Amino acid sequence: MEAGQALSSRLGRITISSEAIAQIVAETAAECYGVVGMKGSLRGQLARARGRPRGIEIGRDGGEVTVDLHVVVEYGLNLAEVASSVSNRVAYEVERLTGLSVRAVEVHVDDVRTGGK
Amino acid sequence: MSAEGDLELVRGLVGAALASLEASRSRIDDLNVYPVPDGDTGTNLTLTVRAVAETVASAEAGDRPALAHAVARSALMGARGNSGVILSQIVRGVADVLAEATNGIGPPLAARALRGASDAAYRAVRRPVEGTMLSVIRELAEEAERRAVEPQPLGDLLVELVRHGDEAVARTPEQLDVLREAGVVDAGGAGLVELLRGLAGAVTGEAVSAAPAAVASPGPDAIHLEQSRYRYCTVFVVEGDALDRDELEAQLDAFGDSLVVVGDEAALKVHVHTDDPGVALSLGTAVGTIEGVEIANMHEQQEQRKRRLSLVPSTRAKSGVVAVVAGEGNRRLFETLAEPVGTIRVVAGGQIANPSTAELVAALEALEADEAIILPNNPNVRLAAEHAAEQLEWRPAEIVPTESIPAGLAALVAYDGTRGAAENAAEMAGAAAAVATGEVTRASRDVELNGLAIRSGDWLGLADGEAVAGGDDFADVTFGVVTRLLVQPRALLTLLTGAEPPPLDGLLERLAAAYPELEVEVHEGGQPHYPLLLGAE
Repeated sequence: MEAGQALSSRLGRITISSEAIAQIVAETAAECYGVVGMKGSLRGQLARARGRPRGIEIGRDGGEVTVDLHVVVEYGLNLAEVASSVSNRVAYEVERLTGLSVRAVEVHVDDVRTGGK
Repeated sequence: MSAEGDLELVRGLVGAALASLEASRSRIDDLNVYPVPDGDTGTNLTLTVRAVAETVASAEAGDRPALAHAVARSALMGARGNSGVILSQIVRGVADVLAEATNGIGPPLAARALRGASDAAYRAVRRPVEGTMLSVIRELAEEAERRAVEPQPLGDLLVELVRHGDEAVARTPEQLDVLREAGVVDAGGAGLVELLRGLAGAVTGEAVSAAPAAVASPGPDAIHLEQSRYRYCTVFVVEGDALDRDELEAQLDAFGDSLVVVGDEAALKVHVHTDDPGVALSLGTAVGTIEGVEIANMHEQQEQRKRRLSLVPSTRAKSGVVAVVAGEGNRRLFETLAEPVGTIRVVAGGQIANPSTAELVAALEALEADEAIILPNNPNVRLAAEHAAEQLEWRPAEIVPTESIPAGLAALVAYDGTRGAAENAAEMAGAAAAVATGEVTRASRDVELNGLAIRSGDWLGLADGEAVAGGDDFADVTFGVVTRLLVQPRALLTLLTGAEPPPLDGLLERLAAAYPELEVEVHEGGQPHYPLLLGAE
């Protein structure tokens, strides 16, 4: 497992794993308006099988985090606005809950869902 | 009413809604702490409604469906921010219902329109959050349905709905913690009610009483929304005489952040995030007496949430998968993909060694799930799968007719054990259909296929079941297969190596050179007879 980025504290280092960040991203994305599902490649799926949620890849670069997120959006919504809201919300929640700074959240709208429910 | 009359009416209503929102815009901006405290909800809602107003201002009179469509479309295109997107769904729900109206709009139709709006808004979110615009529109729809049974003018109904909406907004802090902590009501919900207030005013011809006693703007408590690098939130009051606010603030500043010191010479309220609350309290006692001390461990709160997030539900799967798979590596891939989201039983078999119906039934029986999905992964296994599904009486079983291991893997990516078999089967079949699959094997005799002369022992490449390449060089043949698979652009190529491992080295380099954008994954599949299986998606 890759070690998380360390936050210094008086008592020692605090590390946050990529898995924990991916969990936060998954929870947040599921609550985002317009997102009705998550998607992932086989690679993403295998990553998830190792403990990460589907459709989410976390990159680490020094103290900064990048998030790649694959979502399915309800048909008939403004995709650009939904993607931008998801990106803002995910960056905000990850920074708020981990204290790590988020360099980029790439939201990929892999599909739109049609036909209600 | 004439088409011109309809258009004028809509222009008037949209204009009134816009004016009402504009008037409250900055108050609503200030309320905005959820989903992200960026203070733009009022602005976003206003801009979204303005887009609709501009469209109807320049629209030409047409029939009602055309007008409704134009309104819904302009809300969609003009949607700004999260609240604007939700509003665009609400507008669409209302427009869809009113488009069908042939007469004037009475309370029953208004109630149906609000219900349509609520349903449309909820449809587009996987996990609706209460205490937001969503719960406000739903409560408005419910109230409208309750009241619509009594005959009354539309204006009266709208005025009642505004009142009810104000109450619903006032309740949002009870429903959503982040609002209560910040001491605000939901901004989107408040904006929605302002919009309705404008509509009600336009219909009744007189202004509808203003928003309830101005809700406090976010106080110092909103600071808690931000992550602090310090552990303890420390709050206390210092009482004394001739207290020096500035000096106390300067002293505290060295020990923490999120510092707020307010009050007068007789009493100061201190709020600070620090790792050492004792020092902060000592600074207080040095200048006066302290009381009302509250110290909270903020990291503990965040840890609790993190723990909650990482809990994995361990409930029995609603549906499970039975897959027919050849090769130990492939078996592990199937299990690795399915187990975190449900349950799977793998039956060994494939092209040559077809499993019996009895073996499949045994696997289906052993599945720890209420319903079953079968992945035959080979055309020759499909019949046995159908027989097995028929023999299984107590458990519904669906067959996703996958014809290869790569197609089966792609189908499994779409599997989710919390859903029923039928729903999964539809999604999984779609995922499998989106994959182009290939195989590389050795010809067992001299053959001519699709104009390719292939000698016994040569490599033979198939794409979606059709011979496309042959020869004695593995990389050449495989490259030919890949070229076929990538006729449509694909992002990901999965290679499953067989029990007889193929020489991949030259191939991977050629692929990287020819398709720099393509992601290539190699897994040890271990299947017999096929040194390489390919899936491109």
